[in-house]
Amino acid sequence: MNKTISKALALALAAAMALTGCTSSGDKPAADNNQGNGTTTDSTATENKGGDKTTASKNEIKDLVISKVASRELETFNILYSQRAEDFENLTNLYDGLLEVTPKGELAPAIATEWGTEDGGLTWTFKLRNDAKWVNMNGEVMADCNAQDFATGLEWVLNYHKNSSSNTSMPIEMIKGAKEYYEYTKELPEAEAFALTAGEGSKFRELVGLATPDDYTVVYTCLIEKPYFDTLAPYVCLYPASQALIDQLGVEGFKSMNNTDMWYNGCYTMTSYIQGNEKIFTKNPEYWDKNCKLFDTVTIKMVESSDVAYQLYQAGEIDYVALSESNVKTISGDPNHQYHDYMANSLLSKYSYQFHWNYNKMKKDGTLDTNWNTAIANEAFRLSLRYGLDIKEYYKRTNTLDPLSCENNFYTMKGLVYTTDGKDYVDLVKEKIGLGNANGETMVRLDKTKAEEYKKQAIEELTALGVTFPIEFDYYILASSQTSLDSANVLKNCFESSLGSDYVQLNINTYVSSQNKEVRDPHLQSFVINGWGADYGDPQNYLGQETYGNDNAWYSTAYSNINDVQETEATKALLDQYKEFTKMVEEADKITDNTDARYNAYAEAEAYMLQHGLVLPCNYSMGFCLTKYNIHSTMNAMFGACNDKIKNWETSTEAYTAEEIAAFKAAKEAK
Amino acid sequence: MFKYTVKRLLQSVVTVLIVVTIVFLLLRLLPTDYYFTEDQLMKLSDEQRHDQLQAAGLLDPMPTQLFRFYGQLLRGDFGQSRRIQNGVNVTALIADKFAISMKLGIISLGISLVVGVTIGIIQARHKDRIADHIGTAYTIFVNAVPPLVSYSLILIFGSLVLGLPSMYSTRNPGPSSILPIVCLSMGSIAYYALWTRRYMIDEINKDYIKLARVKGLSTKSIMVRHVLRNAFVPLAQYIPASLMLTISGSLLVERFFSVPGMGPLLTDSINRYDTSVVQALVILYSGLSILGVFFGDILMMIVDPRIKLADKGGAR
Repeated sequence: MNKTISKALALALAAAMALTGCTSSGDKPAADNNQGNGTTTDSTATENKGGDKTTASKNEIKDLVISKVASRELETFNILYSQRAEDFENLTNLYDGLLEVTPKGELAPAIATEWGTEDGGLTWTFKLRNDAKWVNMNGEVMADCNAQDFATGLEWVLNYHKNSSSNTSMPIEMIKGAKEYYEYTKELPEAEAFALTAGEGSKFRELVGLATPDDYTVVYTCLIEKPYFDTLAPYVCLYPASQALIDQLGVEGFKSMNNTDMWYNGCYTMTSYIQGNEKIFTKNPEYWDKNCKLFDTVTIKMVESSDVAYQLYQAGEIDYVALSESNVKTISGDPNHQYHDYMANSLLSKYSYQFHWNYNKMKKDGTLDTNWNTAIANEAFRLSLRYGLDIKEYYKRTNTLDPLSCENNFYTMKGLVYTTDGKDYVDLVKEKIGLGNANGETMVRLDKTKAEEYKKQAIEELTALGVTFPIEFDYYILASSQTSLDSANVLKNCFESSLGSDYVQLNINTYVSSQNKEVRDPHLQSFVINGWGADYGDPQNYLGQETYGNDNAWYSTAYSNINDVQETEATKALLDQYKEFTKMVEEADKITDNTDARYNAYAEAEAYMLQHGLVLPCNYSMGFCLTKYNIHSTMNAMFGACNDKIKNWETSTEAYTAEEIAAFKAAKEAK
Repeated sequence: MFKYTVKRLLQSVVTVLIVVTIVFLLLRLLPTDYYFTEDQLMKLSDEQRHDQLQAAGLLDPMPTQLFRFYGQLLRGDFGQSRRIQNGVNVTALIADKFAISMKLGIISLGISLVVGVTIGIIQARHKDRIADHIGTAYTIFVNAVPPLVSYSLILIFGSLVLGLPSMYSTRNPGPSSILPIVCLSMGSIAYYALWTRRYMIDEINKDYIKLARVKGLSTKSIMVRHVLRNAFVPLAQYIPASLMLTISGSLLVERFFSVPGMGPLLTDSINRYDTSVVQALVILYSGLSILGVFFGDILMMIVDPRIKLADKGGAR
C-alpha cells in the first residue's frame, strides 16, 4: 500500500514539476507568442525576434491590450467628480479638457488651440477649436463641444449638491467668485441647487470669474495673478460638461452615468465595460485630432496581481507588464532568460517621497513625547540624518537592480517645471544646496564627516536639554502587509547601521486599518514617508503644503503638525526656520511677471527648507517593465491627470529591448 | 409540514434581521475617515468633510440611522453604491454580477457532484486498491496545496500548453470559462469524493449490507440501491445550500481569472467602505444560507423518508 501511495504522490509531484517547468527560460519570448492582439500592418512581423527594430517599427499594434490590477478599477464615469488617479487612467481617454501635455511634460493644445494671459496671470483666455464634438458610445455626434460646456463643467464642480465638494479645492483657491458660488449653492435646498445652470444671466455667471465672450472663447479671472493657471487646464476640475446631456439624464442620472449613456469628446469611446473584467476603448471617429495616432481598440484587462499580468504577457495576451520584485530578480539573475534583454526601466512616477517629521509627537497615553520632540526640533540632529542616513538598501525594495535611480534629494518632483532656458527647477535647487552629481555608487547627499560633526553636536546639545539616547523613531505600517514589514525592516537596518543603534533606534509599529485615525490624528508617528504628485505645474503646489500657519497646507496640518508646536527654548529655532521658509514661499508666490525669477525664489525657499532639514527627501518610484509600446512616447507631465491618455503611442508587435527603451529615453531627453 | 415551514421561515427572517443589524452597527463603528479616499482627505476641508458626512446621515444618532435603514429595507431600497460604481443602484450592481457567478457555480457544482461522487463510489468499491489510493492522493493534493499555487499551475498549463484563454471574457464565455470552472470544481470534487467514500464505507460495514449479501443481491445492486442511497443522505443536505451560494461566487477564483462576478464584491465593498453594497450583500448571503439549510433539510427528508423534521426531537 505504501508503495502505491508513493507512486501516486510521485506522479502528482512530477506533474506539478512539469507544469512549473513551463515558465523556465527555455521558452520563446512573448514577442514570438503573440495571439489575439497586436493586429499588424505588415505580415513580416512574425519573422522578427525582437532585435531588428528597423523592420519591427513597421509592425505597429493596432489593437492594444494592457492590464491593470483589480484594485485600480474605475469607480465613476463622471470625470468632474473623480479625484482618483485610477479613474483618470480611463476617463482622460474619454474626455478632453482645454489642454493636454507632451511626452516631455509641456502643455499642448487640446480643445483649446491658443491660450495666454496679458496681465501677469489675473485673467486667462483660452481660444477653443470649432471642430470638437460630443459623441455617444457609437460615435454618433450629439452636440458641439464649445465654451458653454466649460462653464457648465465648472458650475457642476462648484455646485455643492451636484458634486459633493469634489475637485473644488483648486478652483476655490484660484478662480474669482468660486468660493462664493460654492457657499451659495450649499445654502440652497437640493432641488434648487440641481436646477442651477451656467447660462448667461445665471447666478454662476454673476458670481464666478468665468466668461464666454463667444462660443469658442473662455476667459477665467483669477483671485490674484496666477501665472501657472494654465497648468491647471489639463486637470479634471476644468473639464467640460454638456448641459444637454445633464438635461437628458437628470442630475442624478449624470452622477451615475455609465459608458452607454454618457457623451464623449475624447479620443476613444468605451464600447464595452465589464466591471472587474474588461474595458474596450474604440477610436472616436469624430475626434478633433485627425492627425494623431490612435489604436483601433484598446482593451484593458483587470487582473488579480502583477504576477497574473506577467503570466498573461508570457501567453502573449497583453502588450505591457510592470514587473514585481521577484520577477525582476528571476529575470535579471538568469542571462539566458527569455526576457533578460527586454527588461526595461519603467517611467518615473510623478510622486516625490519625503520623510515628513512629526514635530508634535504624542505618546499613546496622549502626553507629549518630549524626548522625540526635543530631538527632532534640533537642527543638528536633523542634519545628522540628512548627511548620514544611507537608504540605498531601502531603494532596492523599489528597484533592485539600479537602486540609486530612486534617489531623491529634493522636495519638488524633478521635471515639474523648467526655466525659460530649459533648466529643470530642481537643478536650481541643486545648485543652491551645492549638491554634487550622482556617481552611481552612493547617495549623493551623504557626507560622513558632516554627519559625524552634526551627530556630535546633536548629542551635546540634546544631552544638555535632557534628551536620552538612542532617539526612538516610531514608524507605523499596516499590520497585515508583509511587504510593508519587509520594507520597514530594511529601513530599520538602514537607520541603525548608518547612524548607530546607540544614537537612533527605529521601532516598527502597526496600525490595523486607518493610518489617519489610528496614527496621524493622535500624532503617534515620528515620521511618515509620503509621496506628493502635483495637480498643477508650479512649485507652489509642493512648497505650499509645508508652510507654517496655513490650514490648507496639507503636510503642515496632517503630518508635521508644526502649527501645534509650542514655542520653547528647544523649539524656537525650528519655528523661526518654518516662519522664514513660509515667508520665502509667500514672497516667491508674489512674483508673477517673471517665471525665471519666480522659480529662482522658490528654489531659494526649497534650498532653505532642505538645508535646515525641515523635511528629508526619501525616494522616487521607478520599477521595471516588459513592453511593446515605447513608454517614452506617452504623455508624461509631473502634474495634472493626462499621463495615461493613450494617444500618439509608438508601438511594435515585437517587444522592445531594454537597450531600445534606453535609446528612446535618451532621444526624448535630447529633444 | 406547513406549520414547520412557516416557523422556519419566520425564524429565518429574525435571523437575517439580527445579522443585518450587527453588520450595520459594526460598519458604523468604523472611523468615518473610511468614508473618504486619501485624495479626498487631502483636498476636502474639515468643513466639507463634515458636510458630506452629515448629508450621508452618518452623523445622526445611531438609533436614527438604524431605523432609517430599516425603513429603507421595508421599501426595498438598498441605496446606491458610492465607491464600487458611484451612484449606481446596489440592486442593479448586484444583478449584473450574480448571473455570471451563478452560471459558473452551477456548472462547477454539477461537475463536482458527478465526478466527485463517482470517484467516491469507485474508491469505496475498491478500498485500499490503486484506484482508492489515487483518489486519496488527489484529495490530499487539493487540500494540501494552497489554492493560489494550484490555480497558478492550472493557469500556466491551461494557457501556455493547452492554449485556453487565461482570463474570463464575456465575449468568449465558453472557452474562457474552462479554467475558472476547473479551479472551482477541483476542491469540490475532492470534498464529494472524500465524504462519499467515507459514508459508503460506513454503510458497507453495516449489518444490513451483510444480510443483503447473504440473501444473494448483486454487488452492483447493493452499492447503488442501498449503500449509495443511504450514504448520500448526509451529502444531500448540503446540496441546496451549495447551489444557492453559487450566487456568491468564489473570491479567489473570480479574482484570479478576472471573472466579473460576485466573488470579490463583498471584500471590495468593505475595503472601500461602500456600506450600501456591504449591507445588501450581507442580507443576500445570510438569506441564501438560511434558505439553503432549510431546503437541505427538506431534501434530506425526501431522500430518506424516515426523517421527520416536524416531529418532536426530530428537528435539527
